[in-house]
Amino acid sequence: MSKGFASNRLSLLAVGVLVCFLSVGVRLVFLQVVDRDELLRFVDRARRQIVVEHARRGTILDSRGNLLATSRSEITVAVDPWALTEYLDQEKNPARRARRAAEEAAKHARLAELLGLPLDTVEKAFTPAMRAIKPENDTHDGVVDGQTRDRWVKLREALDEPTFDRITALNIRGITHERIYRRVYPGGGLAAHLIGYLNKEGSPVSGAEHHFDLYLRGQDGWIESEKDGARRELAQFRSREVAAQDGNDVVLTIDSVVQHIIEDELKLIAAKYSPHFATIIASDPMTGAILGMANYPSFDLNNYSKAPLDTQRNYAVTDIIEPGSTFKIVAAGAALNEGLVTPQTTFDCGLQTIDYKGRTIKLPKEDEVFGQLSVADIVAHSSNRGAAQLAMLMGEQKFYDYARLYGFGQPTAFGLGGEVRGMLEPPSRWDGLTISRMPMGHSIAATPLQIHMAMSAVANGGVLLRPQIIKEIRDSDGNVIRAFGPEKRAQVLRPGTAAQLAQLLTGVVRVGTAKGFDIPGFEVAGKTGTTQKLIDGKYSSTHHVASFVGFFPASRPEVVLSVIVDDAQVSGGTAYGRVVAAPAFKHIAEQLIQYLHVQPVTPATRNFLAMQGGVR
Amino acid sequence: MKPPPAHAFVNRLIALTLLLLVFSGSLGLGAVWMRQEISQAANRGRALEVKMADVERRLDEVNAEVAAAVNPDVLLQQNQAMRLGLVSPRELQVVRVGESPELRLASKHNREVFSVASATFAEGGNAPAFHVLTAALR
Repeated sequence: MSKGFASNRLSLLAVGVLVCFLSVGVRLVFLQVVDRDELLRFVDRARRQIVVEHARRGTILDSRGNLLATSRSEITVAVDPWALTEYLDQEKNPARRARRAAEEAAKHARLAELLGLPLDTVEKAFTPAMRAIKPENDTHDGVVDGQTRDRWVKLREALDEPTFDRITALNIRGITHERIYRRVYPGGGLAAHLIGYLNKEGSPVSGAEHHFDLYLRGQDGWIESEKDGARRELAQFRSREVAAQDGNDVVLTIDSVVQHIIEDELKLIAAKYSPHFATIIASDPMTGAILGMANYPSFDLNNYSKAPLDTQRNYAVTDIIEPGSTFKIVAAGAALNEGLVTPQTTFDCGLQTIDYKGRTIKLPKEDEVFGQLSVADIVAHSSNRGAAQLAMLMGEQKFYDYARLYGFGQPTAFGLGGEVRGMLEPPSRWDGLTISRMPMGHSIAATPLQIHMAMSAVANGGVLLRPQIIKEIRDSDGNVIRAFGPEKRAQVLRPGTAAQLAQLLTGVVRVGTAKGFDIPGFEVAGKTGTTQKLIDGKYSSTHHVASFVGFFPASRPEVVLSVIVDDAQVSGGTAYGRVVAAPAFKHIAEQLIQYLHVQPVTPATRNFLAMQGGVR
Repeated sequence: MKPPPAHAFVNRLIALTLLLLVFSGSLGLGAVWMRQEISQAANRGRALEVKMADVERRLDEVNAEVAAAVNPDVLLQQNQAMRLGLVSPRELQVVRVGESPELRLASKHNREVFSVASATFAEGGNAPAFHVLTAALR
């Protein structure tokens, strides 16, 4: 071999090595410089992932800590039939492959049983199939034919965790799942109008779910990390992590048992009188806390989609009625508060007309014939003419001012359920008869809650409070982060006047329109109401709103209770408040006395509290 | 002075190179081991997070079931189904204790030592009534 040949070979090798290095260098330049952005995007797509951590929605509780609304996980079970095929194809031995297939088939039978589905349905789901997709998206199987493998065949929705655990234990090839959180209402229809619900998309629709959504919903978190080829997270490559903030718990003022008692009573009323609607409200007069509020008709929160919209209305705040005789507390309270009358002051309630400001006004009709009645008797026997004369003593403006002070014609700021303000026109828009008709609860419209809160003001020493539905907000660890106390709206009456009126209202059940509905020892104070309904612009003689609104014990009020029944069907008679509403009031009150440990009033405490104006 | 032999220098260089190789190799292995540990710790942490989420989910499930089970309607149905005959008390069945049970028990247990007397003062009308208790040594 010549020396020149060896030298040439070395040069050739050196050039070859140089070319190799050069090509590697060029490739590196392409990878690192020219195609850098595109490749980085590809890597990002392939490896980086952002996982959203959903915040848990807070629960809604009653005042005693009972769950009214919570979230629970539900599982949608699906099948990837191609995963089973791929698993079987891995086994080349026909005998072993057949054995594997037989084992899986046996599991499918058990799966069908657990899911409550026919075996045919399950077997069909495990049969590989193709589905159509847009050709531009057909990049998975290398063939652009607008068809791709269907890897998600839904088998069953809303599966509970224990059943899913049993399915997982079967270790079935091709089973896949998706976990979602759904809102559940353990009480079913309990306090449906107050709690409200979340729709299928998870948006709050009504009630506390809607009104307190800001507190309840929490804030989602997220994790930025990388994933491997099997799409499992590589936790060591987590670069950023923002923890989810769970929603706060909302504690309502209602008591599940009180709510249940009044809902049970509503069912009885509905069965007996088939009303258009009925509302019962119970509250604590000293704080304005709503202990229970229920309407008929109602609905089941867990099946809200099947409930007609009419049943989802909270009639207590969305509908207005003429308050009728329950409104007489305005005239009586105002006249007493102004010092124009005493309980013993008498009026001639037999008069058919009366002179007022130079005009002769026809007084309203009475249900029975009265003569001279004291203010106490006017309240007890619900004299329309007596109430009209009390209002006339004050004059239009003063009477109107008191009606406003009692909360009529303005929203109570209850918050839930689309509250309306009612109707109370100023005196400038009254006709000549209004001063004689409004004191008996005509020419005015109010929501059941407004009527209830007006009576609550009498029970609470003359203070009108905002109805409270929320007691406190707790964080996810159970710490109270905000508590809600009573909110005073107005001082309607002096405490002494309120206590005096409360005592007059006890006459209603002792000797008046609701005689016989007293509960011995518990001093029921209340007012019946029977309003003719306005139908086609005329007062109907067959359609009425019956009500009984009151509280007990009169000298130490602990519960305010309203029963309002719209258009009750009473066979062969009129749906008077004493016939329809007062018995329900008494029945509920007897149960609440036991449940809330209301103590009877002894003569000593009665005198002492009467001196204090009834305020605790 | 005699200069050090050339092979001694080469030997030292080789030894140092080997030492450097061992050191850098250890560093490399240490780095790999550390990455492995980080990865395992991260995976353990993730597994714990998943487990905690699972426990919380199951807790929610149980809470919802308990709440549904203690719903007044369900309890009433259970009362009927199990024929327990439980009803809420009526006022007629309730005996209310007006006096203080502590004082009653105290006077009962110490009647040999103390004499307890009580008196009620009522002026009538709207004046409040007072109940006065006195205890004296016998």
